[in-house]
Amino acid sequence: MITVSSLTKSRAHVRVLEEVSLAGAEGTVTALVGPSGSGKSTLLRCLNGLETFDAGSITVAGHRLEPGPHSPGLLERLRRDVGMVFQQFNLFAHLSAVDNVALAPRVVLGMSVDESRVRGLDLLDRVGLRSFANARPATLSGGQQQRVAIARALAMRPRVMLFDEPTSALDPAMTAEVMDVIVELAQAGQTMVVVTHDHGFARRAATRVVELEAGRIARQGAAADVL
Amino acid sequence: MKCLLCAVLLVPALTSATVAADLDKVVSRGELVWAADQEGGGPHVFPDPADPRQLTGFEVDLAALVAEELGVKARFQQGQWDRLPLLLGGTADCVINGIELTPDRQRDYHCSRPYFAYSLQLLARRDGPIDTLAKLASPGPGGRWRVGVLTGSAAESVMRSRTDLEIDVIGYDGTIDSLEQVSTGVLDAAVMDDCIFTFYADRFRRLRTVERPFEGGFYTILTARDTPQLSAAIDAAIGRLIADGRLKALYDHWDLAGRQQMLLLRDAAEIPVARRKSLGELCRDTLPLLLKAAGMTILLSCLAFPLAVGIGLAVAVGRMHGPAWLRPLLTGYVEVLRGTPLMLQLYAIFFLLPKIGLALPALVAAIVGLALNYSAYESEIYRAGLKAVPPGQFEASLALGLSKWQALRHVLVPQAVRIVMPPVTSDFIALFKDTSVCSAITIVELTKRYSVLALSTGRIVELAIVTALLYLCMSWPLALLSRWFERRLERPAGGSMAEG
Repeated sequence: MITVSSLTKSRAHVRVLEEVSLAGAEGTVTALVGPSGSGKSTLLRCLNGLETFDAGSITVAGHRLEPGPHSPGLLERLRRDVGMVFQQFNLFAHLSAVDNVALAPRVVLGMSVDESRVRGLDLLDRVGLRSFANARPATLSGGQQQRVAIARALAMRPRVMLFDEPTSALDPAMTAEVMDVIVELAQAGQTMVVVTHDHGFARRAATRVVELEAGRIARQGAAADVL
Repeated sequence: MKCLLCAVLLVPALTSATVAADLDKVVSRGELVWAADQEGGGPHVFPDPADPRQLTGFEVDLAALVAEELGVKARFQQGQWDRLPLLLGGTADCVINGIELTPDRQRDYHCSRPYFAYSLQLLARRDGPIDTLAKLASPGPGGRWRVGVLTGSAAESVMRSRTDLEIDVIGYDGTIDSLEQVSTGVLDAAVMDDCIFTFYADRFRRLRTVERPFEGGFYTILTARDTPQLSAAIDAAIGRLIADGRLKALYDHWDLAGRQQMLLLRDAAEIPVARRKSLGELCRDTLPLLLKAAGMTILLSCLAFPLAVGIGLAVAVGRMHGPAWLRPLLTGYVEVLRGTPLMLQLYAIFFLLPKIGLALPALVAAIVGLALNYSAYESEIYRAGLKAVPPGQFEASLALGLSKWQALRHVLVPQAVRIVMPPVTSDFIALFKDTSVCSAITIVELTKRYSVLALSTGRIVELAIVTALLYLCMSWPLALLSRWFERRLERPAGGSMAEG
């Protein structure tokens, strides 16, 4: 489902990623761990083309990314199959929770308003926020916002979900509620790559753990072996 | 107590002293300040073609002669022609600029004895259909004939009173503007003082005089009503200039038929003085006209502003997300429109485009001009608004599979619109007021209508109050409306697909 081979990327003459190779099979959860600045977020963002790279290649959900700029068409097709959840949630501030979730199915997949709304409500239900469907993001707690963001990413029925430090901006109680949602997803067989500092989560949910250090893979293997 | 007494005794003394001193003031200053509009053109007052810093014209010479008679030098004061009388009393001592002697002016100012006789001349294109004045009595192929005049001139009031003719009278701020417009085919005909066309005939060879001049009157020097000594001195000066032949020599020098002028001035009949209207009559006569002009102000703002917003938004998006070759072009567009005056842009659209065959009606030209000018400002506001949307919003949209344009349309622009509501609202009010600039291209909106009515009725203060109230009645609901709109955008969407 995910193959990264010899990925190399520099930024302002500094190597950010060097010869990174990893693989994630369908239904597996890969945790990317490592100190700040080790390149794990950059690696994640390369997986859906938010960042370009200089050498190597990536194949995600059957889409192949080459070094250099990607064509808009390829990126749009890839991103339909690869959802992403951000550290800062990035919910659309002008839309209600359900409209946040329903936007992409309506705009990208061409669903009707009613159809996309039904999907939005189902997904809010799945993250336990159906009763907040009409709330604006600004009125929700951080944990609630992140759960809406997960529902929003799931709305495109992605084959792969990417999480970029999904709980770093949250306090422990909220972290738990978001983690529960992610663990449930993992148990349901969703293929995922999760950048995290939370080793507890990695032990609990990850099939494989990849530890990065200064842009290189330091260790990778089963959670119990690496951590 | 003593002081109070002194003051009471002093006040009448001072007042009579100032009245008696009106001529002394000019003499002690050593200058007679005369107002005219050099844009009005020849043969009256115009920049000397040999040295454009110098003014020339038969009225420049006349002013010098009159000043000489008063024992002082003449000093020129520039003003807009239809508002020259407003300069009296403060800025200028007198107005010498082809001001026709009319009953209304006799009522509101002191009018000197006539110094020049004019007639009105109808002008049309040589190859056009108008070859007699009578042709104007039935509609032309394009409906009513369009006839240009100088705003506030006798030509305007005479043509407007001719209800027997099938004509729309369009007022211009410059005399030769209407000649240009007849030349380019925007107008069917123009009417003006015969001496003006005689002067410019060589420049407008495509135009012809239609029949002989048909109505006439006299030019007068205006002074304020409260300067009787100055007025009397000017009258006496004109008398001496006529008696000793200097005025005839001046007109002969300017090729203005001196002998004929002297005969016409000798036989000039008395002009009656208009009666001052009661407040009731004033309201009855002016309110409908002011309301109609207010309607034009609303029409211009409400049509131009949405266009400006639309173009501005497109330009902002193009500059930030468009192809690389487009961005410098759009930056140039913004800088040119922002860096040149609205008046000049309107002028270019209305007077210059017809020269390359694109004649727009004044209303369309005004709306296009306002919309283009304001689109430059709107685009800068939207650019700021788009920049203020957190970058994470764009990334999140892309990560969901939206294209760049879908992200702009559904995520970035809707949020930018909310951010920029307050400056956009204030721009709308600014545009609302800027519509008055359109009077330069013959649009009669509220400010223009006020200034025309105030001068023709002499009720400057009363009409100013009415006009200000009308503006307030329009801008207040506008402000309420935009505040309501602002609140509506800030409100949660309530589960509806509000932005879809």
